[in-house]
Amino acid sequence: MRTHLLLPVYLAISCLCLSWISGLASLPPRELLGIAPEDENFYKSDVIKCKDGSKKFTKQQLNDDFCDCQDGTDEPGTSACPEGKFFCRNAGHIPQMIYSSRVNDGICDCCDGSDEYKGNVNCPNTCWEAGKAVCEKLKKKIATHQDGLIIRKREVEKAKQAFAKDEEELSKLKSEEKILKGLVDKLREHKEQIEKAEEEERLRKEEEKKQKDAERQSTEQNKSLEESPLDHSEGIHDTLLEKTSQLDKMDIGHESVDQLEKEYNSGIDLPADHTVGQVVDDHHDFIRSDHGSDDTNDELPSGHSTDQHVYEDKTTTNAGPNYETGAKEIDSDHAAEMEKGSESADDLTPSGSSSWVDKIQQTIQNILQAFNFFKSPVDISEASRIKKEYNDANSKLSKLRSRISSLAEKLKHDFGKDKEFYSFYDRCFENKQNKYVYKVCPFKKASQVEDHSTTQLGNWEKFDESYRVMQFSNGDRCWNGPDRSLKVRLRCGVKDELADVDEPSRCEYVAILSTPILCLEDKLKELQQKLEDLNKSQPSKHDEL
Amino acid sequence: MGRLNRRSPDALIFLILFVFLASLTSAWKRDEFRSCRQTPFCKRARGRAPNSLPSFSVADVSLSDGAVSARLVPAPALRQVTDDDPSAADGDDASSRSLLLRLSVYRGGILRLEIDEDPSSAPTTKRRFRLPDVLLPDLDDRRLWLSRLSSDGASATSFYLADGFEGVLRHDPFQIVVRRAGSGGEPVLSLNSHGLFDFEQLRAKKDDENWEENFRSHTDSRPHGPQSISFDVSFHGADFVYGIPEHASTSLSLRPTRGPGVDESEPYRLFNLDVFEYLHDSPFGIYGSIPFMLSHGTRLTSGFFWLNAAEMQIDVLAPGWDDPAAPNAGRVDTFWMSEAGVVDAFFFVGPGPKDVLRQYASVTGTQAMPQEFAVAYHQCRWNYRDEEDVAAVDAGFDEHDIPYDVLWLDIEHADGKRYFTWDRVLFPNPEEMQKKLAAKGRHMVTIVDPHIKRDDSFYLHKEATEKGYYVKDASGKDFDGWCWPGSSSYPDMLNPEIREWWAEKFSLKEYVGSTPSLYIWNDMNEPSVFNGPEVTMPRDAIHMGGVEHRELHNAYGYYFHMATSNGLLKRGNGKDRPFVLSRAIFAGSQRYGAIWTGDNSADWDHLRVSVPMILNLGLAGMSFSGADVGGFFGNPENDLLVRWYQLGAYYPFFRAHAHHDTKRREPWLFGEQNTALMREAIHTRYSLLPYYYTLFREAAVTGIPVMRPLWLEFPSDKETYDNGEAFLVGSSLLVHGIYEKDQKSASIYLPAGASWYNLRNGVKFDGGVSHKLAVSEDSIPSFQRAGTIIPRKDRFRRSSTQMVNDPYTLVIALNGSLAAEGELYIDDGKSYDFEQGAYIHRRFIFADRKLTSIDIRPSNVGDKKFSTDCTVERIILLGLPSGAKKAVVEPGNHETNIELGPLTLRRASPPVALTIRKPNVCVVDDWCLRIL
Repeated sequence: MRTHLLLPVYLAISCLCLSWISGLASLPPRELLGIAPEDENFYKSDVIKCKDGSKKFTKQQLNDDFCDCQDGTDEPGTSACPEGKFFCRNAGHIPQMIYSSRVNDGICDCCDGSDEYKGNVNCPNTCWEAGKAVCEKLKKKIATHQDGLIIRKREVEKAKQAFAKDEEELSKLKSEEKILKGLVDKLREHKEQIEKAEEEERLRKEEEKKQKDAERQSTEQNKSLEESPLDHSEGIHDTLLEKTSQLDKMDIGHESVDQLEKEYNSGIDLPADHTVGQVVDDHHDFIRSDHGSDDTNDELPSGHSTDQHVYEDKTTTNAGPNYETGAKEIDSDHAAEMEKGSESADDLTPSGSSSWVDKIQQTIQNILQAFNFFKSPVDISEASRIKKEYNDANSKLSKLRSRISSLAEKLKHDFGKDKEFYSFYDRCFENKQNKYVYKVCPFKKASQVEDHSTTQLGNWEKFDESYRVMQFSNGDRCWNGPDRSLKVRLRCGVKDELADVDEPSRCEYVAILSTPILCLEDKLKELQQKLEDLNKSQPSKHDEL
Repeated sequence: MGRLNRRSPDALIFLILFVFLASLTSAWKRDEFRSCRQTPFCKRARGRAPNSLPSFSVADVSLSDGAVSARLVPAPALRQVTDDDPSAADGDDASSRSLLLRLSVYRGGILRLEIDEDPSSAPTTKRRFRLPDVLLPDLDDRRLWLSRLSSDGASATSFYLADGFEGVLRHDPFQIVVRRAGSGGEPVLSLNSHGLFDFEQLRAKKDDENWEENFRSHTDSRPHGPQSISFDVSFHGADFVYGIPEHASTSLSLRPTRGPGVDESEPYRLFNLDVFEYLHDSPFGIYGSIPFMLSHGTRLTSGFFWLNAAEMQIDVLAPGWDDPAAPNAGRVDTFWMSEAGVVDAFFFVGPGPKDVLRQYASVTGTQAMPQEFAVAYHQCRWNYRDEEDVAAVDAGFDEHDIPYDVLWLDIEHADGKRYFTWDRVLFPNPEEMQKKLAAKGRHMVTIVDPHIKRDDSFYLHKEATEKGYYVKDASGKDFDGWCWPGSSSYPDMLNPEIREWWAEKFSLKEYVGSTPSLYIWNDMNEPSVFNGPEVTMPRDAIHMGGVEHRELHNAYGYYFHMATSNGLLKRGNGKDRPFVLSRAIFAGSQRYGAIWTGDNSADWDHLRVSVPMILNLGLAGMSFSGADVGGFFGNPENDLLVRWYQLGAYYPFFRAHAHHDTKRREPWLFGEQNTALMREAIHTRYSLLPYYYTLFREAAVTGIPVMRPLWLEFPSDKETYDNGEAFLVGSSLLVHGIYEKDQKSASIYLPAGASWYNLRNGVKFDGGVSHKLAVSEDSIPSFQRAGTIIPRKDRFRRSSTQMVNDPYTLVIALNGSLAAEGELYIDDGKSYDFEQGAYIHRRFIFADRKLTSIDIRPSNVGDKKFSTDCTVERIILLGLPSGAKKAVVEPGNHETNIELGPLTLRRASPPVALTIRKPNVCVVDDWCLRIL
């Protein structure tokens, strides 16, 4: 501690009234010390109210270095009230409110040095330089926001469309599922009938065989071998012939089912909403994981003619045109991929001649009709035909259902007010730090990969802080510690980029993801306003410097 | 610091050890530590009945060199055969050799008893260890030269002890009694009044004898055989006994460990151990050992101290333990056992509680005066990871307007746990980092533990190896044990040369990356040895002069603390007061710095036990102590953390700390509301810094602790004797902890003979009554005693450093006769100039509506002067009838206003007390202020 010569105590107060020069800033009069310009009027009257309404104080008590209002109203310019705030003008830089605990504490806080007016320390005015640096930084930030905003708008538009498209697809798939289920049910019915008939026939044949065996025995005994089994084989032959002709008739339908199936699958392989960036294909993962939920739609009513009608209504009005617009906007880099996607999508949409469901429906109807004419004994080829048709349709149904559940799973997420995070769904972001690679897949999970071992940092939980933070939780448990978790802070940037992964507390990770999605109009305006204010407080001569 | 590390260092073997330890991590493991039954000397001694041993009688009593000397002659009867030590029975000469006894008297009411073997008849070359360096060097100057012995016939010899007290040596059987002087003098303390004195003398080993002891996988070679000592000590006129820290207990007093009404229990164990997740209520030994016990009753207070660093076990015997038919009333009997050493014991006659504390302090010293920053708030965590982390935490405090003074770095800051080095990836510019903190008046502390990594490329290890400075194992090689760095060795701090060498390591030149604002933390100095017996060093390890570790164990950490503290003293050319925090303690550790209660847990029970623990440490001389705020292991719930800050703000040593595996818990991480509550708790401490600093001065001069049990100030109020929930800060401030979740009300006993003002709302409460009070989350109950004046500083800064020039607030709580008194001590907060008189010491006296400030600094304390510009900006008066409007300050005769004001400047604190506005008198001056 420095040992000062003792000043007469009573002088200490009046000292505050003397104007003190510290650095380049000149001290405002006591009654203006630490007061923001917009507050100056508040302090004009002779009797002033504490802002918290607790009491009143006189003008003499303003900045008299004694705390009268516990909220600090009467001591904006001193350290007397712990709850008070001191205003630094910081001409040339941004004005600032600092805690009263910083006033005359021997440490320069305001760049204009106004917080150290007692002269415990000499604080040079650094506002001009600091202001300039801040200006530059601000300009850069504004530029980033401006660029980012353009990208953001585009992305949001894309995301909206992709979302709408997926929603539409989902509803379409759902109605298709109903139709298909109806068909499958019918086929099953037939299949079961056939199986029943086959069983009966088998029993009958067994019976016959027994009889024949018995007869043969008796014939042998009678040494009579004249009778041949031709009658029966003729019957079988007839059936075979008939089947062949039926097969010929149905070839087209059959082919189209196979082809459709292929197309349908390729449609799954390339979801239409794949977009820019380092896309990590998790597709197989979610297909696989979705198999478990196949049974969710089993209970759908099977009145398929009505459903079909509704479905046609919907699709003709919405989905077709929407999708096309979306497809056109995709970056050229990915045009090839998208083409395939749109091709399959075209086939899946009823905007062309007729949908694949219609075709299947047709085919199956034909088979069933054909079969209906057919009476027992069971025709083998027709029976196997029905069974195959059933199996095909049934497996198509489960694929359809898995597609529905994955799409439904996706769509139930919160993608932001404008669905702006929609494109994040199928994307992952990576960042390499030393030996670790961090992988963040929004809406899914985050992991840390070291060589061949992967540690789960968390599963998707939610957005936090009004879409400024992505929260992943319940990751792998730490030894003797908590479950791992990750907080990804989002900030404006022209590119999607994961950076600064850190573990400030054991097994609690944080990271920063720059993305245009966070480049917001309001924030840009705020920054521009800040820059404007900064420029205003900077005299023109400094501007020229 | 705990025992388990997340990322184990290089060696595979450490991994194996790690897994082994991991299996122990769930909680405290009783199996890992020896019980009395597993400790042969303890089992033997504890199994004996009173008066069952052949007694010693006194012979050849004489005055020599101003002290009483005599021989203790064993009775000719055979020693009793015991299961564990049958050899003792077969007529060995050890049982027939007499012992030498010496009684000396020291100024202030202290009797010292020394008993050792007679070297002239010793059968072996081994000499028993007498622990040096603990008693104050000037103790001998205070010895009274006895010139006359009185004999009570042939049966006893008595001599002067202090005015009103005498010492008595009874001859047959041998017994020591301290009693009030005069005929039929009331006894105060007695030793061997139950005939339990036993002294196993060293002897040659017989061919068929095996002295080895085994515990778990460890073998103690015990080359010198049995050498334990035990005896009974009775505290007369006592209701309770206290002290002998360090133990975790919910009880302030020491509960009986044996006798009627006591379930099977262990004795209190004094054996310094690194106990992982220690229990909150157990007599087992933890990190520190101070073999000093006090007793207190309505009529007198007395104390007993056994200077012995070997393992000690102490039974507190329940009334009726010796004779259930005739339970002893108004007396507490105790039974002391030690594995080795000599009898070097001190009896303190009191008669008041503070007398006993002064007497003990005159033997082992008082609390070293801390620097002012060290009394403020400390922020610690295992670990603040790198320079960025440090900068961010530092900035966090500023951003949330929370003051703190010291940022701590745990073991991960060093390069591979090689202390005195830095992990240069994480801390590339340690000097710059410290300078940045120092620019805000803040300090840094780094950890330096005694285990030195056995790495040939590590300069410290190389030097220590070459110079032969390590403790040796039983075979004579450098002892090699496992600790944080893996294979480690331990410098032999018993050796003064090695301590000097160690001290040099803290010079700014040798400790690369250190700056003058860096201070030190000594952890693991029990010493902790992960693969050693009971997680410490084997007892047959060898120190300087062939001293066995068993003889020294409890003082190893003390010597380490001493050497480190001297290192910082040297670094500052004797001008900068050291700050060293130690975990291991022994009697006298108070001279070297602060201590804390080790690795506690984040639960409500550990919050509760922190108070009795710190109080007992304070009674045993350790004024500067605290518990880890928040609890080291585990994650505290928000409300527990807040309650811990509210309580911890009153600990003498106020530091938050957390285990590596816990969530971050800087005070702003739990929502605005909790941040505000923790900020307010920390503010409370900062505003009371002038009061605490004044109390530290008192502790440094007198040995009276900063944080006190109620009975210390209210010795005749029986209700206070076992109150471990409330405590006094100094004599003026009473604090009651809130130790339960969602507690809505608390029953608070306020001591009799005073009124108490609630510091929240100024409401006055009567003493001698339990008050049931509603409890809010804002604060824990605190009261100012009527008749006292507490100096505060109510402006908050980044750290205490910026508060030096801030004005004071005086809070005056008037008693029934409208009077009050208080003190304020100020110095430069850093140097030793106060020893030459460079300080201000004022007494404020309020009487007859007049407040006077008088200088109580004696004029003969030195030529150096200290001054300050600080003024008094506000005087708060509790208990003055309203109506006063003005006060006049003299000299100067200037008037100042009196108005109704709040007790604190916190938002929404109601205006409840008369407040003298801006008297603006200077604290260095004489002045008086009259209420008009």
